[in-house]
Amino acid sequence: MSCAVLSCVVSFKIMLRISNLHKTFGDIRAVDGLTLEIKRGEVFGLLGPNGAGKTTTVNIAVGLLPADSGTVEIVGHGSPADRAVRRVIGVAPQVLSLYDELTAEENVAFFGRIAGMRGALLREQVKSTLQFVDLYDRRGDAVSTYSGGMKRRLNLAIAMVHDPELLFLDEPTVGVDPQSRNAIFEKVLALRERGRTVVYTTHYMEEAQRLCDRVGIIDHGRLLALDTIDGLLRTHGGQKVLVAQSLQGEVRVPTDDPLVDLNRLQAESRLLSFRLEGPDLESVFLKLTGRLLRD
Amino acid sequence: MRETIAIAVKDLRLLLRDKAGFFFVFFFPLLIAIFFGTLFVNEGRQTNRLRVFVIDEDDTAASRSFVGRLKGAPELDARPASRAEALNRVRRGEGTAYIAVLRGFGEGNVFGDNPPAVELGVDPSRKAEQGLLEGALMKYASERLSELFTDPAKSMSSLQQSREQVLNNPNMSAADREKVASFLGDLSSVMSRAPQGQSGGQPQGKFEPLRIQNADVQVHWEGPPSSYDVTFPQGVMWGILGCAAAFGISLVTERTRGTLVRLRMAPIGRGQILAGKALACFMTMVGLSVTLLAFGRLVFGVRPDSLPKLALALIAVGLCFVGIMMLLSVLGRTEQAAGGIGWAVLLVMSMLGGGMLPLFFMPKWLQAVSHFSPVKWGILAMEGAMWRGFSYTEMLLPCAILLAIGTVCFAAGERAFKWLE
Repeated sequence: MSCAVLSCVVSFKIMLRISNLHKTFGDIRAVDGLTLEIKRGEVFGLLGPNGAGKTTTVNIAVGLLPADSGTVEIVGHGSPADRAVRRVIGVAPQVLSLYDELTAEENVAFFGRIAGMRGALLREQVKSTLQFVDLYDRRGDAVSTYSGGMKRRLNLAIAMVHDPELLFLDEPTVGVDPQSRNAIFEKVLALRERGRTVVYTTHYMEEAQRLCDRVGIIDHGRLLALDTIDGLLRTHGGQKVLVAQSLQGEVRVPTDDPLVDLNRLQAESRLLSFRLEGPDLESVFLKLTGRLLRD
Repeated sequence: MRETIAIAVKDLRLLLRDKAGFFFVFFFPLLIAIFFGTLFVNEGRQTNRLRVFVIDEDDTAASRSFVGRLKGAPELDARPASRAEALNRVRRGEGTAYIAVLRGFGEGNVFGDNPPAVELGVDPSRKAEQGLLEGALMKYASERLSELFTDPAKSMSSLQQSREQVLNNPNMSAADREKVASFLGDLSSVMSRAPQGQSGGQPQGKFEPLRIQNADVQVHWEGPPSSYDVTFPQGVMWGILGCAAAFGISLVTERTRGTLVRLRMAPIGRGQILAGKALACFMTMVGLSVTLLAFGRLVFGVRPDSLPKLALALIAVGLCFVGIMMLLSVLGRTEQAAGGIGWAVLLVMSMLGGGMLPLFFMPKWLQAVSHFSPVKWGILAMEGAMWRGFSYTEMLLPCAILLAIGTVCFAAGERAFKWLE
């Protein structure tokens, strides 16, 4: 296989390419030299605390904000600043962006029309999208009568009505109950099964761990790490921790070989119980930044 | 274009779902039109000099003297004009009325059947001032007579002339002729003995210093308008102001609830979004205008003089206020601020333009300022098409001014529009 063909194949696997992106608001450096590539068909998590630069990155990536410098490319289509390119993008903004006075069906149909859909295709797409987010039965109700979780699902439906290749979901579970959150998780996983590329921004590590194939950890506008969950845990998670309860109290022992350390503790005093704690993204973030995600 | 129409349809749907907004856009102006239409029937008062156009068709010493008095009258702004010019200018709303001093004025007999006569033609929208004008005319006619009787030579001649006319009047009974002629003879004797400069007093019997023949200005074009012909254009204007305010706020609402961000992320341009808003606003304005005028036609007999000219006027007014709406939408960052600022600006425009109070109630300097209010030109364009009988050339001025204001405001608003707060 020639280099050119190989390069083409590699490029085809990439959906979004962000290169050396910079954006400042006054004295605040919102995005600071961000570079990353997102593969086709993956759920990519952009994880970071509030104010880390996630939403700014998304806004630039969808063509809403101009970058101070750097480039964004939807591979095979071009820059999202180009209107036509935005047809392949769907966005569910963090702030619910709905017309409360209209019904769910009217909301979805309106944004479908805005995206250039018409006639039978639009009707079919509106129906299937509302069915996908389990709102078809309530399609004729005004959005003002919806619960927070239903509104979040409708927000998602609007983002995907025109069947985009690339979906940006910006903190899609903010302010919803656990049941609705689980419903949204299921929809995201279903989107992956359909072969859609999803960029999922969140500051909840549990969500990233559950949903994302790869995660980029971002803070102060800089990408601190990017890998699969396992890769991040392996590289930055640190040691496992053996937590043992004895008559003297609780003991926490970082360990590379839990069995050896457990035997050692058992020899020292009679243990009442023990458990092994593995590293998580919280500990990864702690190691990378010196603080917790929710600080 | 399809995306623009989609945005417009969505906005119209939002307006229809907002019951309070719908009421204020469609029904409130109707109530205003009906209320003031009823209120202004034969009502009104005067605070400023009334502009009148004076035509001297007699051109005698007496008529010139009378016209001179009118020119010097503190309550009148009397301007000489030909009959055609005077009629035209009153029709266009440039003056309250015309006063034609009719032929034979100088030979008129205040004691007989042929008194000095004038023709008074009042702008139908200013009927409230007709009584004031008639009072002023009678006052200056009486003053003229008073002067007449202070000059024995003039009064002797006038009395002699009157006596002869009475004696030859076939409409009077012989007894009445004798009585009045005898009285005029006695008065003539008294006047001949009175020293110069002394008033001769007022004669008794039939006395008519001036006959005022009221001319209906609107008879010169089709259909006599009622007060509703005046108030319905004002009602339409109120509705249009409401639309401009409502749609100005809706643009801010799009911004505050995040849907504008979503629109911006969609594969459409900024121009399409603004055009969609503008189209919805324009369609609502035209829709409410047609609704109001249809209601006026069916219930109050309001009938436009020319439908094409009315359509032209409504299009010009609509486009003007769409531009103003665009400018209003960038004046406030929140819905409350935009609403407050929008209504404040529109109310001032309305007040200055005669939408709240007839312009003639205002001081002169404010009347001059009213030229800057699109409300004035909007009402004038609609009235011109409805009952002032404007030609297309005459429609050009208000319509061109409206379009110019609309264009400037739209451009300024579009330029200032901030996409992300």
